[in-house]
Amino acid sequence: MIVECRIDDLLSLIGKKLTLEKLEETLFLIKAEVEKVEGNIIEIEVNPDRQDMLSTEGIARAVRSFLRLETGLIKYPVKKSGKQIIVKPGLSKIRRYICGSILKGVKADDKLIKEYMHLQDALTSTHGRNRSKASIGLYVYDDIEFPIIYGPKKPEDIVFKPLGYEYEMNGPTIMTDHEKGVEFGHIIKFHKKWPLLYDSRDEVLSLPPIINSNDLGRMTTETRNLFVEVTGTHLPTVHQALNIITASLAEREGSIESVTVVYPDDTIDETPDFTPEKMTISTEEINSMIGLDLSGPDIVKALERMGYGATAKTKSVNVLVPAYRMDILHAVDVIEDIAIGYGFDNLTPAIPQTMTTGKLSPATRLKKKVRDLMVGLGYQEIMNYIMTSPETLNDKMLRSETIVTTENPKSRNYSVLRNSLLPVLLDFASLNQHADYPQKIFEVGDITIPAETAETRVNQIPSVGCLMSDVKVNITTSMTEVGFLLRNLGLNGKFEFVSVNNPTFVEGRAAKIIVNNTEVGVLGEVSPQVLENFGIGYPIVAFEIHLPRGLEW
Amino acid sequence: MSEQLTEGERTVLEELLNLNQRVPTSDLANRLKQGEERVISILNSLVSRELVEIHTKERVTYSLTDEGAEYVDSGLPEVRLFGGVKELGGKATFDDAVAKADLDSKTKGIAMNWARRTGWLQIVKEDGTTVLKTLVEEAESEVTDIITQISQGKESHQSSDSLNQALERKLVVENITKSYETEIIGAKTSEIEKLLSAGTTGIGNITPELLASGAWKDKSFRPYNVDIQPVYSNYGKKHPYAEFNDWLREIMVGLGFTEWFGPYVETEFWGHDTLFVPQDHVAREVQDQFRVSSPYDHGKIIDRKYYNAVKAVHENGGDTGSKGWDWPYSEEVATRLCLRPHTTPVSMRYLYEHREGPQKMFIIDRNFRSETLSATHAQEFNQCEGIIKDKGLTLRDLLGYLTSICRGVGIDKLKFKPGQFPFTEPSVETFGKHEKLGWIELGGSGIFRPEVTRPLGITDTVLAWGLGSGRLYMAAMGINDIRDNYSRDLNWLRRSHFVR
Repeated sequence: MIVECRIDDLLSLIGKKLTLEKLEETLFLIKAEVEKVEGNIIEIEVNPDRQDMLSTEGIARAVRSFLRLETGLIKYPVKKSGKQIIVKPGLSKIRRYICGSILKGVKADDKLIKEYMHLQDALTSTHGRNRSKASIGLYVYDDIEFPIIYGPKKPEDIVFKPLGYEYEMNGPTIMTDHEKGVEFGHIIKFHKKWPLLYDSRDEVLSLPPIINSNDLGRMTTETRNLFVEVTGTHLPTVHQALNIITASLAEREGSIESVTVVYPDDTIDETPDFTPEKMTISTEEINSMIGLDLSGPDIVKALERMGYGATAKTKSVNVLVPAYRMDILHAVDVIEDIAIGYGFDNLTPAIPQTMTTGKLSPATRLKKKVRDLMVGLGYQEIMNYIMTSPETLNDKMLRSETIVTTENPKSRNYSVLRNSLLPVLLDFASLNQHADYPQKIFEVGDITIPAETAETRVNQIPSVGCLMSDVKVNITTSMTEVGFLLRNLGLNGKFEFVSVNNPTFVEGRAAKIIVNNTEVGVLGEVSPQVLENFGIGYPIVAFEIHLPRGLEW
Repeated sequence: MSEQLTEGERTVLEELLNLNQRVPTSDLANRLKQGEERVISILNSLVSRELVEIHTKERVTYSLTDEGAEYVDSGLPEVRLFGGVKELGGKATFDDAVAKADLDSKTKGIAMNWARRTGWLQIVKEDGTTVLKTLVEEAESEVTDIITQISQGKESHQSSDSLNQALERKLVVENITKSYETEIIGAKTSEIEKLLSAGTTGIGNITPELLASGAWKDKSFRPYNVDIQPVYSNYGKKHPYAEFNDWLREIMVGLGFTEWFGPYVETEFWGHDTLFVPQDHVAREVQDQFRVSSPYDHGKIIDRKYYNAVKAVHENGGDTGSKGWDWPYSEEVATRLCLRPHTTPVSMRYLYEHREGPQKMFIIDRNFRSETLSATHAQEFNQCEGIIKDKGLTLRDLLGYLTSICRGVGIDKLKFKPGQFPFTEPSVETFGKHEKLGWIELGGSGIFRPEVTRPLGITDTVLAWGLGSGRLYMAAMGINDIRDNYSRDLNWLRRSHFVR
């Protein structure tokens, strides 16, 4: 994900003058990459696991600590405001969780407001899974009369001015007429009642996760005190999103106050909660994963450089994970941060010790053998996409096979998986009629054929397809060549050709290729109707043979 | 350079002496019943011996473009527009004149532009509408004359303003054909006669009879011209991309890796779940990955015990010490069929069957992403994937393996960046300094998470990496357009080669 920052703003938050080169180098070592610099604007690519770095403030916090300007766990003091969000019954199947925070004295100018909105968008699109798991709203605190109510309402009873509009709309109209309703409506539309957030005077704050009210939910440059809420379907996700955005705003000189959420069963949730999670990891586990011999204090130093709190014990380290980190699921996630804190630039590659003997797969060996023989016969190897069109595989070939088909192709030309190489070769030939004749081409590659009993309902088969085109072609040559190929694969006396009627080929000029009493392929002179379908003006003889995946035919 | 003449040179020189004048090479080729190309190749050799001269002649002819041919039938737009105004009494609004002249929206702009430039029509604004007035009696268009003449077969023309205008308007194109003429250099005639009389003796073809009789002894052999560049010819050979992949396989086997196979069509269980990618991850959505919809859209779970272990890891971390994703795990999603978006499921299938002891596996094969085909993106791309499983392997060992593999493909200078993949922790992105492209991203790697290995009962460390091998191929071949990796141009394939 790309975060756009103003360089002067970023550097002032970091608190140190850095050259662009030094900044780029530092970002590289903490998983972020500079994509573009234009004037005062820098675009930084942040990895999706570091949701806490999706803002200028978050990036500055990580850089500041990595450069050892301010290391260790940052404390975000929270004052209890006593304000309440009351959750009404009936939301448990719709969007059951909510939490909130209050920020006072936050800096706000046009640019900053735009950036806060970006952070909100970035967080809800990835971490919030396009608002379905969590969505965020920012409001003008001073205009709200607490307590706030979060409850289900009938769509027709929901009436307010949505953000960007000066007139009122009701719920169903928002879904059809407001761009956010059209985009995100599907998340709640199928419920009989929709979640609504309103204050004690019945003034609407928002219709989560669709749109804020134009009155209470619109930040201006005058706004200093903010109310932030997150609603969603997964409590940890909702908490993490609130922590990330609250911590970011607190970096803009905001002081944090908490809000009490009261659920219908009288459960109380005081948010935001910045209590760090505790973990204990053994020094041995850390060193054996990274391949170093770090002491307890070394590890503490590395962790503090990554914004953790840490204390060394005799054989282990106690770790405090910052509450804005949502990517720490396991000790290995902390160990990675220790490696990053130690510095990837300080890690020296070790000489690999694992001794094994290598080998090619039987299918690759057989394919190589077939390719060598085809080259010996004077054919040029070609390679095509596995994906093609149903017209190429069926209509033009006068076939009607069942084909493995994708649901969401970007183009019909690449929408199905090839079930045979011949159509792909004919398609290739149709595009090259300006090139010198004779044309002798072949491809060795996999084809896929539906198979109900298989685990993935598909048999994937290695195959060789071959065609020759000239002003005059001869089926006998083709038969001789197939004979050469099969005999040199050790199949002398094990194969036979049996005449067959196949619409792709001229009647009386096609044969099934049978190996060990199993049909493995076909050869023949391509029917003029098929040539016409492909727009080919020269006669063609062709064959295709399925190869075994293992050693046995 | 041989003093004597080859058979080909002899016949050409004899014919030229015989003709005793400058002749077009095409005539000479006809007389000798030879291809013109071959005759010119012989003549070139004679030019270098300073016996003959070749003169190049250029002939300029003209032919109509589709647009030009259209105007021969329908008339030039400006002529038609003028005609329209005239028929309406010499003054008309623009719209009326266009309607009268039956011009379409594309040609009406052209008509207006040229009617003004020729000075046939005056354009004025009256009450906000554009009004046209005729300024001349008749529209005399030399461009019309030119294109009519060309359409009647008159190919050559003197340069003129109207011809230039027709060229500029892309109604007419210029065709330049080159032809060659040749003659003997007069002063060399006697030298040539001498060469011709001297060279008639000697043995041509060596035959079995000649060898049996021994008649070749004490005789000379007629020399052939062996100093020429051979012509291009089309024999059988391999595809350069296939040869590149063969080369990569050779390197991997040399490093002790065993090649493995996995299918293009995968269940999302293998494609993502076994790799601890959350079931609601964006990479699994339709805009990123191909879903298979027909004839089957869901596959099967073949091992319930393993399935349950993976499910537990997703829901709550199972017995791995992880928190898991704390989210309900769906069998419907797990069995959904997709085209594999990376080769990593092949590594999982290998580990599934090889849970004991040290292991090294690789695969070089196709992957699929739902992309629109363009110069930079393709719906199919190759990956060179590998894993190493052993006790006590570390992050530094991973960097060591990456270094050996990259050295194998000729990249010595590397830098490592911490990265992020759902299935590895720590994760590393490798950048290499390429001789032509500078620093390029080579691929992702890392140590498989416990959530990935423990459901298989594996406690050893597994190092894993995937190299974007298509990119290295493009660099090696000087290919800039990703579509050329699977080139459909037979001429290009016939002349391309991968050499290492």
